[in-house]
Amino acid sequence: MVQFHEHIITELLEDTNGGLVVTSSGLGLHKLISSLFILHHHSQGCLLVLSATPPQKSSILRNYENDIQSQISGEVPNLPSEITFDLPANQRLALYTSGGILFITTRILIVDLLTHRLPTTAVAGLVILNAHSLSDTSTEAFIVRILRSTNRSLYVRAFSDRPHSMVSGFAKAERTLKCLFLRKLHLWPRFQVYVSQDLERDPPEVVDIRVPMSTYMIGIQKAVIEVMDACLKEMRKTNKVDVEDLTVENGLFKSFDEIVKRQLDPIWHTLGKRTKQLVSDLKTLRKLLDYLVRYDAVTYLKYLDSLRASESFRSVWIFAESSYKIFEYAKKRVYHFGRTDSGKLGLSKTVSTKKRKLNDNKKDEDQSTSTETMVVLEEVLEEPPKWKVLLDVLMEIQEERDKQASSGEEKDHLGDGDDNGIVLVACKDEYSCMQLEDCITNGSQKVMREEWEKYLLSKVQLQALPKRNAKKAKEPKGFGVLDGVVALSPGKKAEVSSISKQEHDALLAAASAVSKRINKDIVGEDDNQKHVDVGGSVKRKGKWKKKKGSAGENSNNDVAPEDDAMEGGCLNEVFLRKHDLGLDAESSRETKKLPPVVFYALESDKKILDILKPSIIIAYHPDIAFVREVEMYKAENPSRKVKVYFLFYEESTEVQKFEASVRRENGAFESLIRQKSLMMIPVDQDGRCLGLDSSNEPQSVISQNHVTRKAGGRREAEKEMQVIVDMREFMSTLPNVLHQKGMRIIPVTLEVGDYILSPLICAERKSISDLFVSFASGRLYHQVEMMSRYYRIPVLLIEFSQDKSFSFQSASEIGDDVAPNSIISKLSLLVLHFPRLRIIWSRSLHATAEIFASLKSNQDEPDEVKAIRVGVPSEEGVVENDVRAENYNTSAVEMLRRLPGVTDSNYRAIMDGCKSLAELAMLPMERLAELMGGQKAAKMLREFLDAKYPTLL
Amino acid sequence: ATPSSSANRNAILVSNRQKGNPLLKHIRNVRWTFADIVCDYLLGPNTCALYLSLRYHLLHPDYLYFRIRELQKNFRLRIILCHVDVEDVIKPLLEVTRTSLLHDCSLLCGWSLEECGRYLETVKVYENKPADLIQGQMDGDYLSRLNHALTAIRHVNKTDVVTLGSTFGSLSHVMDASMEDLARCPGIGERKVKRLYDAFHEPFKREV
Repeated sequence: MVQFHEHIITELLEDTNGGLVVTSSGLGLHKLISSLFILHHHSQGCLLVLSATPPQKSSILRNYENDIQSQISGEVPNLPSEITFDLPANQRLALYTSGGILFITTRILIVDLLTHRLPTTAVAGLVILNAHSLSDTSTEAFIVRILRSTNRSLYVRAFSDRPHSMVSGFAKAERTLKCLFLRKLHLWPRFQVYVSQDLERDPPEVVDIRVPMSTYMIGIQKAVIEVMDACLKEMRKTNKVDVEDLTVENGLFKSFDEIVKRQLDPIWHTLGKRTKQLVSDLKTLRKLLDYLVRYDAVTYLKYLDSLRASESFRSVWIFAESSYKIFEYAKKRVYHFGRTDSGKLGLSKTVSTKKRKLNDNKKDEDQSTSTETMVVLEEVLEEPPKWKVLLDVLMEIQEERDKQASSGEEKDHLGDGDDNGIVLVACKDEYSCMQLEDCITNGSQKVMREEWEKYLLSKVQLQALPKRNAKKAKEPKGFGVLDGVVALSPGKKAEVSSISKQEHDALLAAASAVSKRINKDIVGEDDNQKHVDVGGSVKRKGKWKKKKGSAGENSNNDVAPEDDAMEGGCLNEVFLRKHDLGLDAESSRETKKLPPVVFYALESDKKILDILKPSIIIAYHPDIAFVREVEMYKAENPSRKVKVYFLFYEESTEVQKFEASVRRENGAFESLIRQKSLMMIPVDQDGRCLGLDSSNEPQSVISQNHVTRKAGGRREAEKEMQVIVDMREFMSTLPNVLHQKGMRIIPVTLEVGDYILSPLICAERKSISDLFVSFASGRLYHQVEMMSRYYRIPVLLIEFSQDKSFSFQSASEIGDDVAPNSIISKLSLLVLHFPRLRIIWSRSLHATAEIFASLKSNQDEPDEVKAIRVGVPSEEGVVENDVRAENYNTSAVEMLRRLPGVTDSNYRAIMDGCKSLAELAMLPMERLAELMGGQKAAKMLREFLDAKYPTLL
Repeated sequence: ATPSSSANRNAILVSNRQKGNPLLKHIRNVRWTFADIVCDYLLGPNTCALYLSLRYHLLHPDYLYFRIRELQKNFRLRIILCHVDVEDVIKPLLEVTRTSLLHDCSLLCGWSLEECGRYLETVKVYENKPADLIQGQMDGDYLSRLNHALTAIRHVNKTDVVTLGSTFGSLSHVMDASMEDLARCPGIGERKVKRLYDAFHEPFKREV
């Protein structure tokens, strides 16, 4: 345990109420929490851990297990357990009372608290992670309020390692403290004196490598920034956003969207389409910058293609002047397209070109030509410059080791002797990891080639992409290139504008050559196995690669010039020649030894350093949190030699972003320190925090009415109001606010409606975005129909958000005519078809609570048992105490219901008859017809599932 | 109280009380004519509407109740068209909501006279229209249906749909893709991969 962790814990334990700890990112929060676990004793009651993400959970657990192993205490340690939806109620109760450490989701906890299944006195304390995402209406706050009201000795310890999220919005830190009933804010920035002492005592050796970007990369970066700047300028013109925040530097961060959103949300509905589009364009552009340094040239181009296909014609950036350059350069990194006057420089030149240009980025130069049409499609396949540098670094490391080994001094030199020589390469995402690994084992050219071929294939939409388990999928029709080409010609017109016809043909031809070869190979492999003896192909994994390996030999003989494809024959040969060269390059690399390398994706958020104990770390995509983790790792293992390589693209936004993230974090802490000195936290006589007390709120409208209407203002002994709330609604914050208003919340699973206010009144709550979506999907119609069937007063609650404007649209958007897609038309139709439907227009959560209370005032209380039964198909029955909402894979169900042929009447049967969407995708027609109750629906679904995705070209 | 002259069947009948309401000049897509009726606007044989400005309601809180009482039980659909023309809406809107709910009226809110006028026009125009428009029978093209289906999974956007479609070729192949294949798609990060994979492979109903 590093020393400053001990300091944090001592400080935190000083206040028996608990406190909120904010640290810099990467300072080992998981270790801190597992140390807290060690201090927990089951006689105190149980310790509930809330809001931990799965990776956080697993790293805390792993660390805790390590910690208790190293402890010499004779007592049997209590391992944390997890409370999940599938534990029956009595087992949950047993766990609650066991006094152990429990990971739990907020939804289960709040439901168990509201149904009194969890005795509040059994809880010793709460540990809440990711405190930056809390607000006074969030479920965590709800939980703390309920627990605090009955359990005075409860402690709450909340943690966050995202200081910049703690300063977004007005007095966020103070509000968070209040909603958790806490007084103490503990700030632990990286520049805090204990922290920096610990981490800088013996820092790791750092090698900073600046890799120059290729000319085209620089060009793309410049163009993207230009477009971004142009968009920002446009944005400024709207006069809707604070100009100070609108800088390119801010634009590099995800939080930029938040800044803009926070400012625009209150007026979002009044904004013109153009401004809205600008906001989303900026997001897209940020991604483009990010991917430029992460993806290889081909993948980048592919992403751009997808983007172009999916962006609406409205998007501003695509038509900006510099955007043209982005596409152009991105293409030039992959291939050149041009026409030549003579066909001579065709094939003969291929090999010589390659030999001549051996500099970094044009290594793999090659050409494919058509001697007849004189169209040249020249492959460039620029490799990301970092690839080569990475290889060089690895080889250098190995050379050094070899040297040390030969001089025979390495063992005692390298420290504890448990040095395993692992080199850890940290990338941003899993994809980069896989690609780099491929690069090292198979050579970078091969990787680029594979990406290129995949790219071409996706252009012609070959459905028979290599599949791991091809046997279970039935062969789609249109296998083979020609079918693909024919099928696509009518649809392609839309896209042709952006890419010239000839270029398009050339790409198709190239693609057809590739796929033809693969076809042949499949046949070839089936017939005779003699081709397998090609050099490097054997050890490579995966069918896809093997096929290509064998291609090297067989097609030279049996691919005659093709008559069907346009330039098929020539292209084919060119491809193959190159391929042979690729193999040569690879075999030559095999002679060089590389150290053992492990790739790690930062996104996966696994704390891998302590497990692998690497001595050399290469930060392929530098990230501030990871840097801190390395520092921590070094501080905890002072005897170990740690060397870190940083690979930055020189003059790139990557560097800029890294440096800005340090500045931003420091800025956030400075602001938090300021806020801390000014905070006002109300405290009661015992020194306990009062938090946001509902009794301080101004009297509500109804209670005022009560006073005047009841004779002499006499207040009757108030009967507690009850509201039955659907389990799924605990994702939203309304139950919390209703509870604040003093209503009793009864959570159950409802088939019809979201809130049952009385035996007569049933309400379906829709936020504005929900309203639009569920009108479009027809869901709302169905829900209202059900409510009308079972309740006297069905209610649609349209809930606006407090900080957004209270209206659907700006006056300018209403238009001149009655338009079928306007929300006005849809609401009017709904009202016409359900004259009994009542609509509540609520300004905010709190207004909703007022309205609910007012509506209930002269009604009977709702009956829980009846409400559960409503609308449930009789054969299904009702399970006692079930938490059914937790048991559905909601995205899957939602997606299922959106598929063609699936209706409200057959989706249950489908879910009963087949387990998952993946299984559904495999079901034959007959079975589908059985489940869906009809041939027609089944056919519709099957055809949709198997329909060929139209190509991009 | 429904005058049944055939010429007036396709027009909105406006009560004489509404003379001088600036709302009237925003009813342009439908003919309207003054008539002697008990409600403010007669939108069909069984459909009527009362117009209420929130500002007026603040001055005369009982007005709405008396107007509703006048209607008696003569209409199938009784609309209260509420013009939200005050800043501080919560209290007056609560009262209007409560009154309309307890007296069987459907409340529609408009934030401008144009919007209020459009509601009147639309209800009249759609008088006999079937509900197809809101029943979600989209006969859209393949791409928009695919979009609609895949975006049911949180955080999946249109670009991702194109990427998935062009990489795997068909929806059934997308649903059957391995985690690794999903991760190879540009723009689809770790969490999205997990979300997609879980949506496809986790059972619809988890076993208890």
